[in-house]
Amino acid sequence: MSEMVGKLFGWVNSRLPVSNTFERHLSKHPVPSKVNFWYLFGALASVVLIIQIVSGIWLIMPYSNTEEEAFASIEYIMRDVDYGWVIRYMHTTGASMFFAVVYLHMFRGLLYGSYQKPKELVWIFGCTIYLAMMAEGFLGYVLPYGQMSYWGAQVIISLFGAIPYIGESLELWIRGDYYISGITVSRFFALHVVALPLVLIALVFLHLVALHEVGAGNPEGVDIEEHLDDDGVPLDSVPFFPYKVLNALVGIGVFMTVFAIIMFFFPEGGGYFIEMANFEEANPLVTPEHIAPVWYYSPYYAMLRAVPDKLGGLIVMGSAVAILFVVPWLDKSKVASIRYKGIYSKVALALFGISFITLGYLGTVSVTEVRKTMSVICTVIYFAFFLLMPIYTKYEKTLEVPKRL
Amino acid sequence: MINNQLNILNIKLSKFFVALGLLISINTIDAAEGGPCKDYGECDEFKYSLNDMASLQRGASTFLNYCYGCHSLQYSRWGRVSTDLQIPEEIFFDNLVFDKSIKPGDLMIGSMSKEQSAQWFGVAPPDLTLVSRVRGDDWIYSYLRAYYEDSSKQYGVNNLVYPGTAMPNVLMALQGNQKLVCKDVPVIAKNGGEKRDDIGNTITKEKCGYLKVDEGSGELNKEEFDSLIYDLTNFLVYVGEPAKAQRERMGWYVIFYFLIFTALSALLYREYHKDYHK
Repeated sequence: MSEMVGKLFGWVNSRLPVSNTFERHLSKHPVPSKVNFWYLFGALASVVLIIQIVSGIWLIMPYSNTEEEAFASIEYIMRDVDYGWVIRYMHTTGASMFFAVVYLHMFRGLLYGSYQKPKELVWIFGCTIYLAMMAEGFLGYVLPYGQMSYWGAQVIISLFGAIPYIGESLELWIRGDYYISGITVSRFFALHVVALPLVLIALVFLHLVALHEVGAGNPEGVDIEEHLDDDGVPLDSVPFFPYKVLNALVGIGVFMTVFAIIMFFFPEGGGYFIEMANFEEANPLVTPEHIAPVWYYSPYYAMLRAVPDKLGGLIVMGSAVAILFVVPWLDKSKVASIRYKGIYSKVALALFGISFITLGYLGTVSVTEVRKTMSVICTVIYFAFFLLMPIYTKYEKTLEVPKRL
Repeated sequence: MINNQLNILNIKLSKFFVALGLLISINTIDAAEGGPCKDYGECDEFKYSLNDMASLQRGASTFLNYCYGCHSLQYSRWGRVSTDLQIPEEIFFDNLVFDKSIKPGDLMIGSMSKEQSAQWFGVAPPDLTLVSRVRGDDWIYSYLRAYYEDSSKQYGVNNLVYPGTAMPNVLMALQGNQKLVCKDVPVIAKNGGEKRDDIGNTITKEKCGYLKVDEGSGELNKEEFDSLIYDLTNFLVYVGEPAKAQRERMGWYVIFYFLIFTALSALLYREYHKDYHK
């Protein structure tokens, strides 16, 4: 019996690089032996991606992408589909958790210089994933066709109208109609369930392939490739499988516990994960008192509102995301990790973190004069962090990086 | 070494939660600025009890007798309500379903046409399936108890929680005639205590805007009426999300599963960890 299995495996293996791939990317793939919890969020992001894809497929089955039935079909899922509420809450909680882990994953990158040479492409693929996620999240939020779906989409699509010359026709082209309607819902549905998931999966694949080419980083910023054993394996490394997989498994256990607590006990997340107004069907005639995006877009929304001019706001918002792509070339530091960088970098990163969280808060509340001023200050800090990076990373005193992990 | 790392993590986490707490507290201050309960002030707190079948059954009965004439529950099905609330189908359909052509699988779409009701009330009475999720249970519980006499309005009543509401006080026969009254309240000193004069009597000031029911004008006393509204709100919380009780029950099992999962994978990880940290 085992002989037969062995033969079959041999037959497949000589036609498909099964054991090769397994060894190269798992059992013999060297990863730094010492990392901390910040290095778990990449694995967690892939777990959430799988949760989103699987729960998404099951949501498509009972969902109806028409103007008349979209909202009712969500309630049909919540009430009449067996365990439909489990599937739906998995997807809504997953959306928020996806952004949560990706934000932490990106912050890890800034913390330990995970974008530095030769990891520029890994970082750029990552930023593109983030961009695709933002689009995916926005499109998905329109599908339940509640009040916030409608008015949120209204706000976002009208942003395109601020672009000179082509704005209005672009808006029309996106909506497919003169106002948001069933046509918009059904095209957003197609993009949300087919087009963008394909893009996301392709990008995640590239992100991982590029990462495995250049090797994972570590919180010390030590290049483990410098000290190899006789077989050419880095001395400060362990094989990805099973060591790092088990490490990730513990992280996944903790993460899924948190996930379950939110999903089963606080699925609305206090109105931040599912907004209360979205339990009301879309009504083009009634504008909600207070339009706020879901929490993961709110920092950018605060930036948008900090600029009085619509086009200006759009440019600021776009630049805030675009500037992430060039971070590898803004950091002139000799060291990668914050542990060995100077005081300027530490202060800058702390201020950046605080301003981003503050912007996130400001984006969810209504505008007052004080809050508007705060948004402007935080937006300036956000951009200063990046634009001044070439200066403060170049002229600060850094510490000596150890040779080994 | 590991202890040390855990300590650092602990400090970092506690900093994070302090910051989070700060953000949340800023948020609550904001909420108080223009609260959802408007002139009523802070909404009364409501704690649902979805396992109290008797309360849900009374709530369903109140809803079907007093509210369902105008308000539909269009996403909810008759049979589901009778099953979830453990009301035997026969009793349910004999006593609470007035249209005999209705089958258990039918949606509770109401009986009044939207066009006509819009003519009668100025606005069509909204569907209430999801009202507990749009407005929140605190809001419903406060709103239904905040009607007061106001002769300037079409139906002679107004509402502190929803000023200018189009709905008449349907439950007035039960509640009685509630009015806005003024009363003497103690003046609060800067230190938070009651202000007193030289002989030690509390200094009072007349304040208005209090709700008071004319004694004996309703069928129910205040406690009975509050408990009626409690049951009705409880029912609306149930209708807003029929799986809620099941969800909260199931959650504990799932969390328990993941805790075991985490513990086992941590033990396995520790065992493998020995390979490279001898």
